[in-house]
Amino acid sequence: MAEEAKKDIPEIVGFACSFCSFKASEMAGSLRMKYPEGIKIVQVPCSSRVDPAFVIKALFEGADGAFVAGCHPGDCHFIKGNYYTRRKIAALKEMFKAFSMDKKIKLFWVSASEARRFVEKVEHMYKEIKEGNNEGKKG
Amino acid sequence: MKIGIFLCHCGHNIKHTVDVARVKEYFQKFLNVAVAEDYPFLCSEPGQELIRSRTEAEGLDRVIIAACAPTLHQDMFKDLVKKGGLNPFLLRRVSVREHCSWVGDDIGKNTDKAIRLIKAGVYGSSHYIPLEEKQVDVTQSAMVIGGGVSGLSAALFLSNQGMHVYLVEKEAELGGHVRKLRNVWPSGKDGSELIDEMVETLRDRENVEIFTSTRMVSFGGSFGNYEATLETPAGESTVKAGGVIVAIGFAPFDPISKPELGYGKDKRIVTTLELENGLDELGLPANPRVAVLHCVGSRDEQIGKPYCSRVCCINALRAGQTVKEKFEHSYVESFYMDVRAHPKGGEEFYEDTQEKGVLFTRGNVGEIIPTPAGVLVRGEDTLFGELLEREFDLAVLSIGMSPPKDNQYIASLLKITLDKDKFFLEAHPKLRPYDTALKGIFIAGTCSGPKDMEESINHGRASAVKLFGLLNLGYAFVEPFVAMVDPKRCSGCRACEQACVAKAIKFDDGERIVRVEEAACMGCGLCNSTCPSSAIGLKGHADSSINDEVGAILEAI
Amino acid sequence: MKGKRVDKKTIEVGLNQFLSDDRNLVLGFAKEPDGVSHRIFKNELGPLSLFNPYFGINGAFFLRRMFSKGQKLLLLLRPCEIRASVELVKLTQTERESIIAVSVDCLGALSSKDASDGLPDDYKEIADILASSEKVRPACKTCKERRGIVGNAGIRVGQDGTLWAVPYDEKGVEFCGLFAGDNEELPAAMLVGEATKTEPFLSDMTEFSKDFAKCIMCMNCRDMCPVCFCIDCVFNGNDYLPKGDALLNKIFRGGTTSLPSGKELFHLIRMFHVSQTCVGCGACEEACPQGIPLTKYFKGISERLQGMFSYTSGRNVEEQIPYLTFLEDELKDAAD
Repeated sequence: MAEEAKKDIPEIVGFACSFCSFKASEMAGSLRMKYPEGIKIVQVPCSSRVDPAFVIKALFEGADGAFVAGCHPGDCHFIKGNYYTRRKIAALKEMFKAFSMDKKIKLFWVSASEARRFVEKVEHMYKEIKEGNNEGKKG
Repeated sequence: MKIGIFLCHCGHNIKHTVDVARVKEYFQKFLNVAVAEDYPFLCSEPGQELIRSRTEAEGLDRVIIAACAPTLHQDMFKDLVKKGGLNPFLLRRVSVREHCSWVGDDIGKNTDKAIRLIKAGVYGSSHYIPLEEKQVDVTQSAMVIGGGVSGLSAALFLSNQGMHVYLVEKEAELGGHVRKLRNVWPSGKDGSELIDEMVETLRDRENVEIFTSTRMVSFGGSFGNYEATLETPAGESTVKAGGVIVAIGFAPFDPISKPELGYGKDKRIVTTLELENGLDELGLPANPRVAVLHCVGSRDEQIGKPYCSRVCCINALRAGQTVKEKFEHSYVESFYMDVRAHPKGGEEFYEDTQEKGVLFTRGNVGEIIPTPAGVLVRGEDTLFGELLEREFDLAVLSIGMSPPKDNQYIASLLKITLDKDKFFLEAHPKLRPYDTALKGIFIAGTCSGPKDMEESINHGRASAVKLFGLLNLGYAFVEPFVAMVDPKRCSGCRACEQACVAKAIKFDDGERIVRVEEAACMGCGLCNSTCPSSAIGLKGHADSSINDEVGAILEAI
Repeated sequence: MKGKRVDKKTIEVGLNQFLSDDRNLVLGFAKEPDGVSHRIFKNELGPLSLFNPYFGINGAFFLRRMFSKGQKLLLLLRPCEIRASVELVKLTQTERESIIAVSVDCLGALSSKDASDGLPDDYKEIADILASSEKVRPACKTCKERRGIVGNAGIRVGQDGTLWAVPYDEKGVEFCGLFAGDNEELPAAMLVGEATKTEPFLSDMTEFSKDFAKCIMCMNCRDMCPVCFCIDCVFNGNDYLPKGDALLNKIFRGGTTSLPSGKELFHLIRMFHVSQTCVGCGACEEACPQGIPLTKYFKGISERLQGMFSYTSGRNVEEQIPYLTFLEDELKDAAD
């Protein structure tokens, strides 16, 4: 995709756990909620399956942003998985902060019933990245 | 590799916002794609036949079904490719409907997105390996938690089918709330009679063990072989059950948490149940004036109960009729938001109540003030938009249902989820209303949301049928998505072992590598992301598969 | 805290006594004909170099996958080397039981890219040469913990130049038992660390690209990292750094690519992998043939990321590596 065109449509890759966040995204679809096409979701069994390397790879292979979404802490289908996710992704975010790229990565807690929350979170992220890209374009 | 792509129109649901012809054309030219077909309804019989026959005829290595969300019709599609001669774990579902056609309106952009999502499916599935579902023995017994009307119904069904049932009740007596009802609508029967009939049948059955005054203190295991420790009056007891039905009921809304209604401050402010069970003791005058309030503790955002409790309208109508029956010349006024007389015969009952002289005023009651003469009801008439203020001899609160008191406790013990209102969350509100996210654990009755008695009984029975279906064979298949170690690449650092929640990873001292106990592995993949060299991997969700999916999403089309 | 006053002679006598047992070994520095290097002493102590301003390889590197043949290995190394060995113990890459880890007070070191012969071995002289040289290693310049206070015991240097053998646990007591003398209270000044407060590491991808433009992806930084312990690195496969046919495939799918590709992936993913175990020793930078300022990044990131969990790599063998555990009540603002 041409560099210019890409700037207009941010590509965001999300990793969503099968039991909560992916279900919420499914429900968002069923409820005909709308969100931008640039947001694409990869289903993983648990947010703890997400190797921070996946996120790094996504961002350096063309994604404008990446998010990891899991069940709320304490509600993990795999009992404690998301507590590990929280440590790893928080550390990854800290690392990106050190490289002044913290806007590119987000961690969301979205339960299976929170379709609306899912849409709000991804839309907000999309907007933030789009604005950031446009600023970069001007400068 | 021969890949088959089947794109569903889902009637208009996908076709409306995705250019299916362009998608098909794109993949027809795609490397290794042997079949790229679109069809109006892949779940229809001819649609199914299309998938099966093409899989067989072309000898496909991968089948990509681009249609609805992956959980829907999954067993059916797996079965189809199996019949077509392909290992069902080489099937890939791509959610074009829920994740593309329904969430965007622009056909051009949606079509691009659909192509990328399908491409992700193609790339991701290229790393799949054939897997076999694991067969595990299941214990042919069920534990029913809660001995209310839905728990009893579930226990009755299961025991009748010959299943061993452990019925666990925290109170000394079985029967829950129904036992306290003197007049069950519409039959007018005494609730305790209905309960006694059920309990006696259960007591007569040899395959039923009833634990009353019992609390569950621990819970573990997995589908087919759950294990619970019960604290019974006779000491601790361990039961093994293949599956569990949670039927812990509800807690009646406590009107004290709406202090403006004055409940508890004056004996002339009562709940519907108190009216039902003690009208004679209230000492009402010969021609009493009675106010009935609907929706107390229901449809009330301010107290965090936005839901309708479903039973309280009928209860309120019944309260009106009860007063009218006893005092022919009484003045009964019902304050309602709308009357939702849910069950069969409810609407007729509402009309009958109106005919019997109960007045219905659409209004919000703001406060009830006890006065020497009676109780003063103040609020707003929402039909006329004016204030109302009337004096009554009695105010009856039709209270709603709140989540059961032990909801958090049971949820954390069983690792099941609560919904936003703190009732138990069903796996899917329509398609799987009895299931929880955990296989073999079902919910029944009002603990998943307000229900009337008929619904509770049905819900209990339905959960029982579902559980019976899972346990009946004595064995079950579980998904083979477990971790596996590449012994040549494992450095034996034991990081995965430390992190593993299920404690399914064990260190082999001799070889200095780790090994996976497949039976214990939950398949979350935490070990995989913890291992810096990915020497431990999750079957069905390999690193290469996920990374390639991301690549497909990001590369040019 | 108590320790024993020792001197170089006493230490040599004690270590020789230790080595008289055939199964005992000492890993430390030796004065070789052409300079200083690591050496594992067996049977008798050779030309031990207790102090020197030399750092080529992190000594913990030699411990990887070294499992007991019934031997006892005494480490007499710099604090950063001991800390790396502690992390390797946590990761089961070497055996805790067979190791006595003794950290020696360190003043820093010069870049090993210059010859190491003729380096001083006197503590005072080392201090002087480090103060005047422009070749002090970046890792040493920014080192926050030069004191030999990690491991089972330490060899410490008092302000007056007195050497102390200080035990930190039972094994350390055993070590100090090798030397004659009584336990005495340590001078208070030795217990205080240098107050080093630094700003958290901050960079951006422009700076990163500039610094790593010279990278030839030889991966020496990984190979010489003491805590990069995997026997088969994830970058050897094609998942992150496609090679050969996989590279062709990537180019056909994704388009033109500059080579070597994946510099960001390699360094950032490795940075994350070692973020909790990195001891900031700078061995990566010593190994880099291109002179890339790796320490700045790896040490900077690991300090930030370890700080999140109040973790310091190698400080205590009982502390669990943060990614392998969690607290339920923490990181409340981690989610967006």
